[in-house]
Amino acid sequence: MVEFLQFLVPGILIGGVYALLASGLGLIFGVMRVVNFAQADFMMLAMYLSWALFAGGVGLDPFLAVPAVFFVFLLLGMAVHWLFIRFVIGRRENHDAQVILTIGLGLIFQNLILIRYSSEPRVVAPSYANAGDFIGDIFISRVRLYAFLLSVLVAALVFLFLNRSATGRAIRAASENWEAATYMGVDIDRTNRIAFGVGVALTAVGGSALVTFQSITPFVGLRFVVVMFAAVVLGGLGSVRGAFVGGVLIGVIQSVSQVWTSAAVKNVWVFALFLLILYVRPNGLFGKAQRAI
Amino acid sequence: MRRLLPFIVLVVGVAALNGWLEQRFYVRVLTLTVVWALAGVAWNLMAKAGQISLGHSAFVGIGAYGFTILLRGGGTSPWIGMALGMGVAAVVALAIGLPTFRLRGFYFTLATISFPLILELLVSHYGDPELTVPFHPENEWRFMEFSDPHTYVWVGLAMLVVALMISELIDVTSFGYALRAVRDNEVLARAVGIRTVAWKTAAFMISAALSAAMAVLWVKAVLRVTVAEEVFGITVVIVMLSVAFVGGVGQTWGPVVGAAFLIPLAMFLDDSIGESVPGAQELVYAAALVLVALLIPRGILPAIERGWRWVATRPGRSREPEGRPLLGRLAVPPQRPSPFLSMSRRPLRPRLPRPSDAPVLEVEGVAKSFGANRVLSDVALRIDAGRRIGIIGPNGAGKTTLFNIITAHLRADAGRILFKGMKVDRMRAPRRYELGMSRTFQVPQGFHLMSPLDNVVVAAIGASIPHPVAASMAMLERVGLAGRALGELSALTTAEIKSLELARAMVSEPELLLLDEPLAGLNEAERARFFETVDELVTPQTAIVVIEHSVRSLIQYVESVVALDEGRVIVQGPPADVVSDPRVIKSYLGSRWMEHVRDQ
Repeated sequence: MVEFLQFLVPGILIGGVYALLASGLGLIFGVMRVVNFAQADFMMLAMYLSWALFAGGVGLDPFLAVPAVFFVFLLLGMAVHWLFIRFVIGRRENHDAQVILTIGLGLIFQNLILIRYSSEPRVVAPSYANAGDFIGDIFISRVRLYAFLLSVLVAALVFLFLNRSATGRAIRAASENWEAATYMGVDIDRTNRIAFGVGVALTAVGGSALVTFQSITPFVGLRFVVVMFAAVVLGGLGSVRGAFVGGVLIGVIQSVSQVWTSAAVKNVWVFALFLLILYVRPNGLFGKAQRAI
Repeated sequence: MRRLLPFIVLVVGVAALNGWLEQRFYVRVLTLTVVWALAGVAWNLMAKAGQISLGHSAFVGIGAYGFTILLRGGGTSPWIGMALGMGVAAVVALAIGLPTFRLRGFYFTLATISFPLILELLVSHYGDPELTVPFHPENEWRFMEFSDPHTYVWVGLAMLVVALMISELIDVTSFGYALRAVRDNEVLARAVGIRTVAWKTAAFMISAALSAAMAVLWVKAVLRVTVAEEVFGITVVIVMLSVAFVGGVGQTWGPVVGAAFLIPLAMFLDDSIGESVPGAQELVYAAALVLVALLIPRGILPAIERGWRWVATRPGRSREPEGRPLLGRLAVPPQRPSPFLSMSRRPLRPRLPRPSDAPVLEVEGVAKSFGANRVLSDVALRIDAGRRIGIIGPNGAGKTTLFNIITAHLRADAGRILFKGMKVDRMRAPRRYELGMSRTFQVPQGFHLMSPLDNVVVAAIGASIPHPVAASMAMLERVGLAGRALGELSALTTAEIKSLELARAMVSEPELLLLDEPLAGLNEAERARFFETVDELVTPQTAIVVIEHSVRSLIQYVESVVALDEGRVIVQGPPADVVSDPRVIKSYLGSRWMEHVRDQ
């Protein structure tokens, strides 16, 4: 039992971060119907930014760097939307273009970082990196706890933004019914741009929450791509709330699987669950059925 | 000849280069270009059906590990290893394809990502992350251990030609029609008898087998060691995607053009600046993907074709009399239906005869809900051979949903459907079509990348009509679209699209014809003409069900009317009785209708 809890608790903690990573992806799909294969590479870029701020002389704590990371990536996301994404959204014929465009962009990010920083793994180790507390027999790592709390806080702010602000409501309206939203005077291009920026920024914040216990390489995103997609699909493609729940579940499964199998194959369980959900409930745990024609 | 020419160009070109190039590096570039062209052709088979797979490295990995393990274990020839690996890859494709192909759109692409990742983790953890390929110089051909690197190019060229021939053969037979129909409009494809899952699975298996074959050549000729991270890796998929998309996605010759362009570029760049700029190769592929996505999403071949057409049709220039240039010819899928079609027919599936006493269609107690929204409850309907029924009711009454359930585009929550006295509830849409059910759509559906003729040909293929092209052409003539047969779908008027829908529905000689708002968008004259055309096409035995809001036209045509409201049958009977029923007037026709009736 203790062994189980010893895996369950970190699973929930890391799951909170996955949830934040996935909610960005889910927001972008929900609003634009674009599956952003570059999402995990935005996360990778954010990890490098946190690392640069920490190790590059400034010495900024990665958790305190979060607001800066958020705004940098909000702008970067909006710029990428304006430069590239907006040309391939909409019609069904564009699906292929969306897939290869976002894959291509992710690949460019990876290799530019590789050229600049090499493939040497980078670590961000603040003074409290190995600290932790025991609650009963369960050890709770300080950095993972912080990462979880940060993710929950940011997620709460996003809910406020989506539910209370005019822009947030426009985004929700567009994700619910794109066409009706345009009739209500919602500027779709602007809404998409902001949604893409916010979606990228959310995942970026998730990335900087990870740096204290995840080493950074140009290809670190590959490990997280399917984790993020699994979380999003689990919660129902396009639902930010669903993506959040999905993220926590994925974290728990990944962690608890180590009770039975080696940590090296923990992602096999995630991938298998991902497939199972796609087959059994492709609209996610909370998704609605769709009409045929 | 038209199809032979590109093969000649390819073989002569590669042969000349192979004979001329001496330096090891250049031969390596040529080998890899052929290897990745082969991989792209394999990947592209799925793209013909519009399916973007990000999981083909699973099959490459299976091929690579399969032959390496056999060679290490018992000294089995890589040729035998290749054949076995192809078989295993095809079986794996079958296993993962069947559930995955029920998924539409992005879901398929997402599902494919995880297969190579799962295999790579399992192989690395429970097997060997790296296997060296033992050296067997004693027999060059048996062990594919050629001392002359040029020989690998010859082998690769032979494999590429075979793969291209398979791809060409698919293009010109009903296989290709089915795949293009799936890419264009999967729902419609199923409605005209295309067994989409079966065709996609077949394409997936062939594609997987070719990928496994390519892996053996790749490892033997270039890698020399089988590394899980490499053969199962995402880079394999990236290169396949790049060469296919750059050349022309879904086009047989696309990957050849893409590989000829990208692979040498990436390798020369890597050779010159790779030392100081790691990742230069990947940047080439990445930039190619981004540029293609933004500028020419269908690839170089179609872009050249379009450019040529623009040049050829510029004013002041006579149209090219002798067809199009070489590349253009490679680029376009055949506008004229292929002559191979009638050769490739399987025998006509015998239609089960209708027991003489059974009605054509019997619907009993059908119910359907979307979430909490109840759309149909306890609906019953019965139609005998040669009869015509109209269905009326306000928007949202469940009329189209009822059609969707009859043709298996939706599954009913309760109730049963008998077609010609046979329970069809468990049959899917293509099977019901084959049995003799045809429909048109409220929102007209079409295969927009095909000519009007091919739209009908697909439906004829779906019904296993013996001479699909001739039958389709004849049908187009009967609906008055013969002159439009080879044009573009987007050029048709509303009335012509309605006629095309009718031709598509009638080419299978159905026993039950379901027309969903056929008169919508037609003017008075076209409306009058429409039902006349229908009557010219059907046999006296054909049962017809029409959903229509134009009640006046409808009641002149049908023999009885069913009125639906809020998912229930409120009245049915002779048209005159139904339209004067107070409940129908209250829920649907409105008091203005009463005035209209009184005026008469």
